[in-house]
Amino acid sequence: MNLAKLKRNSTGYLFLAPFIIGFLIFGLYPVINTLTLSFTDATLMSKSSHFVGLANFKRLFADDVFMRAVGNTWLIWILNFIPQIGIALLLSVLFTSARLKIKAVGVWRAIYFLPNLLMPAAVAALFNALFAYYGPVNQFMVRADFLSEAMRFLESIWVTRGLVVFIQWWTWFGQTMIILMAGMTSIPLPLYEAAMVDGASVWQMFTRITLPLLKPILIFIFVTSLVGGMQMFDIPFLLTDGRGSPLSSIQTNNILMYMKFASSKGHIGAASSVGVLIFFMTSICALGIFYFLRDKDMDVTKPAKKSLFKKNTTRSQS
Amino acid sequence: MKRLSYILSVLVALSMLLAACGTPVTEAPAQATDAPAATDAPAATDAPVAELEGTLNVWAFTNEMKTMAVAFQGRHPKVNVVYTMIPMTNGEYQTKVKAAAGTADSPDVVALEAAFVKEWVESDLLADLNELLPLTEELQTYPAVVEVGTYDGVTKAYSYQATPGAFFFRRSIAKECLGTDDLVEVQAMVADMDKFTETAAKIKECGTGDYFTVGTGGEMFLPFLSNRSEPWIVDGSLVIDPKIVEYVQFAKMMRDNGYESGATQWTEGWFAGMNDTLKDADGTPKKVFSYFLPTWGLPYVLSPNAKSADGTSDTTGDWAMINGPLSYQWGGTWVGALEGSPNSELAKEFVKFVALDEENLTNWATGVYTNEYLKAIDPTTPDDQAQAAGDFVSSQVVVEKITSSFDDSTLATFLGGENSYGAFAAAAPSVNGALLTGSDDAIQRALNDPLAAYLSGTMTEAEMWAAWLDAVRNEFPDLVIPAAPVE
Repeated sequence: MNLAKLKRNSTGYLFLAPFIIGFLIFGLYPVINTLTLSFTDATLMSKSSHFVGLANFKRLFADDVFMRAVGNTWLIWILNFIPQIGIALLLSVLFTSARLKIKAVGVWRAIYFLPNLLMPAAVAALFNALFAYYGPVNQFMVRADFLSEAMRFLESIWVTRGLVVFIQWWTWFGQTMIILMAGMTSIPLPLYEAAMVDGASVWQMFTRITLPLLKPILIFIFVTSLVGGMQMFDIPFLLTDGRGSPLSSIQTNNILMYMKFASSKGHIGAASSVGVLIFFMTSICALGIFYFLRDKDMDVTKPAKKSLFKKNTTRSQS
Repeated sequence: MKRLSYILSVLVALSMLLAACGTPVTEAPAQATDAPAATDAPAATDAPVAELEGTLNVWAFTNEMKTMAVAFQGRHPKVNVVYTMIPMTNGEYQTKVKAAAGTADSPDVVALEAAFVKEWVESDLLADLNELLPLTEELQTYPAVVEVGTYDGVTKAYSYQATPGAFFFRRSIAKECLGTDDLVEVQAMVADMDKFTETAAKIKECGTGDYFTVGTGGEMFLPFLSNRSEPWIVDGSLVIDPKIVEYVQFAKMMRDNGYESGATQWTEGWFAGMNDTLKDADGTPKKVFSYFLPTWGLPYVLSPNAKSADGTSDTTGDWAMINGPLSYQWGGTWVGALEGSPNSELAKEFVKFVALDEENLTNWATGVYTNEYLKAIDPTTPDDQAQAAGDFVSSQVVVEKITSSFDDSTLATFLGGENSYGAFAAAAPSVNGALLTGSDDAIQRALNDPLAAYLSGTMTEAEMWAAWLDAVRNEFPDLVIPAAPVE
């Protein structure tokens, strides 16, 4: 009897096996290997390595280079995420609005999504050429009298950071908007109709119907964007000299890790320690997001004023 | 039955997954055999050696050496050279090779640039090629070239080039501003850094601010670097040679006085100066008087860029070449074979062909390797693959034989009739190979960003030194870092 049960269950496991094996080899193993490497002085240019305890981590905190990279990463991510989610929310509300009935929504959606299809390397190289000292932006600005003389854009901390933020925002808000729109169209229309009958304003409908029902989608966007933001690499790497110039102002976590990995001897031990810290930082923040945005109705049993309304909707969602 | 088919389908899925990640690694080495060449001792002669066959993986950072790879196949028809080019713009090539070395994807032969060749020669990743040393005596390879490829008495990398530096200037501007374009007289006007500065001031005044003496301060880095008295690292500590401090102050002086265009090296603006199409943001045309470039800079950088993209502006024939204020060397490509390669004999043969083969070096320097020549060997050769005459080779024997053939070459026309090869031949023996260390690349690259900030005035000199030393400390965990020259 037990054997039959085991057999029945094992079929399921067999189907899961390809993913699990793939995950173990390409997901878990590298993580564990990185963790082990971070305690050694391993380099690519020598075959032997030694266990050095926490020396790699201590070194990261010996000067402000690591903390500066963490600060840069957070700053660039936050500056890009706020307008990204804001504009994406606004656009998706407009596009899904039953009142406005905007025409050719599909076309707009495609246009906003297009930048996401561009290769980041090409975009970064393009901006690098556009904003060069002898580049077209300077020519335009000076000839149109916006600037009295050519400016060294890519040597200015805030212009360069602003460019990274802009590129990240520009290539990703369309993607965020599409996910939000998918979430919004899945909210049953009768809810809005009922609200309109009750005389709710647009703002009320947005805050009382759309946002609460969109929460799982918002959490998803929040977490994936955070993970992506903490791993930001290609745009800041290629926009300037690959070291986060000017003055290391766009040197992100991953650029620092790559620099250690690519340094003269290829210090993979030291690079791994950066990777491990990013991993923990991202994990803790992602778990924090889940915790603070969790469905609070689950622990609060006391029915709130709008509870009837809410319960209905949750049921229809599931 | 049903269950069995489940299991089978899962197994199929699994095997596909494993097949997908397993195959590409094992293919290449399997067909390589190194037996035939084993009997052949160091014979540098022309006749095809025994019967070399197999597949050789060569990695390089430009397409330049691909020409030699095709020519090598012409000499050994049974050999298949797989050539991979990875650019080194932000250090991609260096990282990629480092990561691949010692794995199954490792190349057999690697090209190594002057900035990082020492790293490799000092590591245990390159094979010992001491047995090729007798050939360097036969060909009288410039000693500095061999010295760079040697560490602890073991020579691991050889080069087909020697790379003394030079100073190229525009004859028309010299005539207009300095009153002469005579090589000896102009050389006297830029003979040392003080005279160079005086001349720079003269050129600025003569062009009413629209003439720059150089495109960027960055290209004067190598002349200063080559004239240090000590390498970057001595006994585990960083050495900030007085020449480096001098360079920084000199670059600042050039920028502040408007003697340089402010363009970044290797970007559009810097190249535009070569063909006289540089315009500032207002649209005012600007001219650049001179460029510091080494041997390879003439055929690969200056002459290809002397014509503007739209063909309207061409400075060919308006250039001249002299030694300039400081003698120096810049760059160069070395080749080495990787330790533990399954094709070690073939790899060694390739290194020998590239760097220590009289016929190949002669063909390389005199423009024999045209596109038609290469296409006859390998029809799949790209249309733009060819080697124009003029690269300066590492063998004194070859240099002496071919110098006179450049008296009326296209490069001589480019330089208004001057034989550049002869001038380089005079400068080559003074090149010093002892200053290179394995850490140069990382140390020098770390200086760029703080220096740019200092030049544009966003950092003080003290801040610049501190930022650079911080960056170096971060890349070299064990290096002893001295105090900054200015605090």
